[in-house]
Amino acid sequence: MRRPTRGTPQRSVALPLAAVMAAAGLAGCARQPDPGTVTVLNSATNTAEHEANQDHFDRCAEPLGLRVEQISVPADQVATKALRMASSDSLPDILELDGSELPQFAETGGLLPLGDAGVDTSVLSDSAVSLGSHDGAQYGVARSVNSLALIYNEELLAEAGLEPPTTWEELRAGAAALTRGDTYGMAFSASPNADGVYQFLPFFWSAGGDETALDDGAGDAALQLWKDLLDDGSASRSVVNWNQQDVNDQFISGRAAMMINGPWQVPVLDGQDAVEWAVASIPVPEAGQDPVPPIGGTVMTVPAGGDEEREGNAGRILNCLNSEENQLAWGERVNNVPTREDAAAAYREQNPKLAPFADLVATARSRTAEVGTGWPVVADAMAGAFQSVLTGRTTPGDALERAQRQARTGE
Amino acid sequence: MTTTHSPTGTVGGSGGTERDAARRAAERGRTRRRLYQWLFVAPALLYMLGFFGFPLVNNVVMSFQQYTPTTYFTGEAPFTGLDNWRAVLGDSLFTDAVWQTLLFTAGSLLGQFTIGLGLAVFFSRRFRLSGPIRAVLLLPWLVPMVVSAVVWRRIMDQDHGVLNSFLSVFGMDAVPWLASPSVALLSAVLVNIWIGIPFNMVILYGGLQEIPRELYEAASLDGAGPWRAFRSVTLPMLRPVITVVLVLGFMSTIKVLDLILALTGGGPADSTQTLGTLTYQLSFLQLDFGQGAVVGNVLILISAVFAVLYLRVNRADLGKGK
Amino acid sequence: MQTTGNRTRARSLGNTALALAILAVMLFPVYWMISTALQPDSAVAAAQLVPTSPDFGNFARALETQGGSLLTSIVVSLGAVVVCLTLAAPAAYGLAQFGLRGGRAIVFGTLITQMVPSIVVANALYNAYAELNLVNSYLGLILADASLGLPFAIVLLRAFMVSIPTEVVEAAMVDGANRFTAFCRIVLPMSRNALITAGLFAFLFAWADFVFALTLNTTDDVKPVTLGIYQFIGAHVSDWGAVMATAVLSAIPAAVLLIAAQKYIAAGITGGSVK
Repeated sequence: MRRPTRGTPQRSVALPLAAVMAAAGLAGCARQPDPGTVTVLNSATNTAEHEANQDHFDRCAEPLGLRVEQISVPADQVATKALRMASSDSLPDILELDGSELPQFAETGGLLPLGDAGVDTSVLSDSAVSLGSHDGAQYGVARSVNSLALIYNEELLAEAGLEPPTTWEELRAGAAALTRGDTYGMAFSASPNADGVYQFLPFFWSAGGDETALDDGAGDAALQLWKDLLDDGSASRSVVNWNQQDVNDQFISGRAAMMINGPWQVPVLDGQDAVEWAVASIPVPEAGQDPVPPIGGTVMTVPAGGDEEREGNAGRILNCLNSEENQLAWGERVNNVPTREDAAAAYREQNPKLAPFADLVATARSRTAEVGTGWPVVADAMAGAFQSVLTGRTTPGDALERAQRQARTGE
Repeated sequence: MTTTHSPTGTVGGSGGTERDAARRAAERGRTRRRLYQWLFVAPALLYMLGFFGFPLVNNVVMSFQQYTPTTYFTGEAPFTGLDNWRAVLGDSLFTDAVWQTLLFTAGSLLGQFTIGLGLAVFFSRRFRLSGPIRAVLLLPWLVPMVVSAVVWRRIMDQDHGVLNSFLSVFGMDAVPWLASPSVALLSAVLVNIWIGIPFNMVILYGGLQEIPRELYEAASLDGAGPWRAFRSVTLPMLRPVITVVLVLGFMSTIKVLDLILALTGGGPADSTQTLGTLTYQLSFLQLDFGQGAVVGNVLILISAVFAVLYLRVNRADLGKGK
Repeated sequence: MQTTGNRTRARSLGNTALALAILAVMLFPVYWMISTALQPDSAVAAAQLVPTSPDFGNFARALETQGGSLLTSIVVSLGAVVVCLTLAAPAAYGLAQFGLRGGRAIVFGTLITQMVPSIVVANALYNAYAELNLVNSYLGLILADASLGLPFAIVLLRAFMVSIPTEVVEAAMVDGANRFTAFCRIVLPMSRNALITAGLFAFLFAWADFVFALTLNTTDDVKPVTLGIYQFIGAHVSDWGAVMATAVLSAIPAAVLLIAAQKYIAAGITGGSVK
């Protein structure tokens, strides 16, 4: 009776242990960086996006005798995923980040200045350069950028005898006139995350607001405008829950006559035939002013610390992706505006319907140009401000004062 | 068999050598048996140390460090003492989040439990299709959170949601379920109740099946009505199962994250921010992992306090063998 | 006699009707999900309550892209069940029957583990996994997913095994079996229902895992269906019809299992804990 007692229980310990060891051995041979493969981390989880990316990567990699492997994770996970990979020295060769995340990465010293990888960024538009730079150095290159515009239901506006509004006053009056029955005049996203903040910025900046001094009084008018639209009944009170997809959803189901949205919605808008739509510039506070929308999009970066050959390969692929021809093809495929001026001009010519986006991008501003790594805190404070104003908790002035305090302590 | 460990055995003096040897042999046997018994528990213990203990300690250490994106590249995370704690605890949003977390948890548990118990009692009656219907009721549990949140956002839409259309049949005004800071937390609780009912019902139903029928018969002979029988037979007999359900419910509700993230994103006006969403926001959006860890630790601390209370109440039941 | 029979039957029918009404309310969101999946329109806001002309395009697309992921989910979840029960059953037995010193602390520890948010666990695990080369492996994900069901399994099995009379095991040991074989031959078969229940919940927890699948993989080699859903959710545009179809498909294996094991659940949950 004694002998078996000694032998058997050990099995219950030994088994899982052995299994762990075996797996460690098995997995050990799984992932050695293959010199012929270039890895990319991006947020192209969606099948169509993923395939479009792969097409373009292949187009550039094949002539170099390389293969590109994409790793795609949900957009809000790219940054943390990349950090985790950094901690285990397994960063991809190309890291595609949202423009607003770039400063935090560049600050770590983990990104290679693109010049060092042989990437030529001299041909990009100013706004694209600012989207990809931090502290005066260029770390990221955007193939195309997006912005926000006013998208409207042609039929409903024609019925009401209205032209798309160009000023805030017209917007408010027009939205009120277009509101009837199940249809609101206006829809926008005021969700407490990146979507809502992105949509607030064109109003905030066009009014002269400054993200380094939220409480300087200039931004109050933007908050008041949003609040008025809700109080007039011209926009649903649910905007505080809607992200940009929800807004588009409302628009194509005929429940909003106008909306603020970006060019990435074009495939969805094209794919339905219930609503005739057109694009106009974002209304400004006073006639004659230039709108200041945010510039958005992803930038491709090259993580530092790899060997020179891999960095060189990444650089060659980036250069190829950003040739005039490829940028134009990419811009048309994803309905974003190319960042090379020559490609953007060709794009405007070929897509008159989306021309307002191309024009807006020219005056658009990068979210991180002024506050850099402080952007996430500022964005959070801003979201807090418009949410508390729209839900009637506080006035625009107080909300922005509080937001500024929040942004300062968060630094 | 003896289970109590006697420390006196080890102090044995130098008596007769033979008796001493016998005692030592017995001692050795006991130690060996003890060791052997531990081998049953050891694999799970080691696993838990690796998969829970290590991350937990890691998280505590992190909360005293300046842990930023740079740390991931350089591995350097300077200790900053209580800086992270001060920054987090000094923020009014944190206090709000603590309250909202507690309200959310209490509300969810109360709803899940009462409705779950009600359904469990109801399905204990014998009627046609009772089994299949009970099984199908578990389906809400299988729906991925991203999807149920999208569906619920549509259902609770102020203007076009089915919920408000339904209420308007009774002449009620449209409720701003998710759009008003004063209602949003309640709405999140309602959705979480919906998610939790199946789990509660299944476990409580299992418990109910174990209660001997004779007890009810005896109660009814004593003239007890259904309510009286429920209170004096069902509830006391069900107590151990109820504690298990409530404790497990508490543990999973207090750290809720994805439901709120997908339903309201913590809004409107931060009215649905909980400790779970706050730690997500700090760690994953602002990439301030040190401060995120502080909130995570507070979350664990609150749960630990609750667990201690629970053990106090159930002293008789836990950790004791036969 | 006749009238009582009628009355009982009427009451039973009434109960069935009430149960169906409860079912309708509880399953409405699920119904909506299926209904949306059957409509080809891309706008969820405009989705009809009843699909007038059901279209299986979304399902076809979901099936085409998610077949492999479904298989991965099944393998990983089953693996997690095996790991979970292998660890939990002896531990629960030890805690229930041996009166080990420190047993209380372990039960307490088991409860504590329930509270650690899985994001915290995943974050710390990643580094360890990277060292051990467990990233992107089935085994790595299985081990991690087992952690979701383990505390519940221990608590549940322990509650059950406390009620197993010591004499039964001792009798077997007198017959020459050692404690481990006695455990395998006597205790495990006696705990069959509880094991099935614990295993079922372990399966469901692992099936629903998203955080571990996301953090512990850097390629598509091991991609369960919870991640597969993201093939239709982009950064800006989502194909909700296809997402819902995927969600419906992904629920089917788990639902089948749940319904098949239904009769064991009730028996497994309590067993001893009520006494």
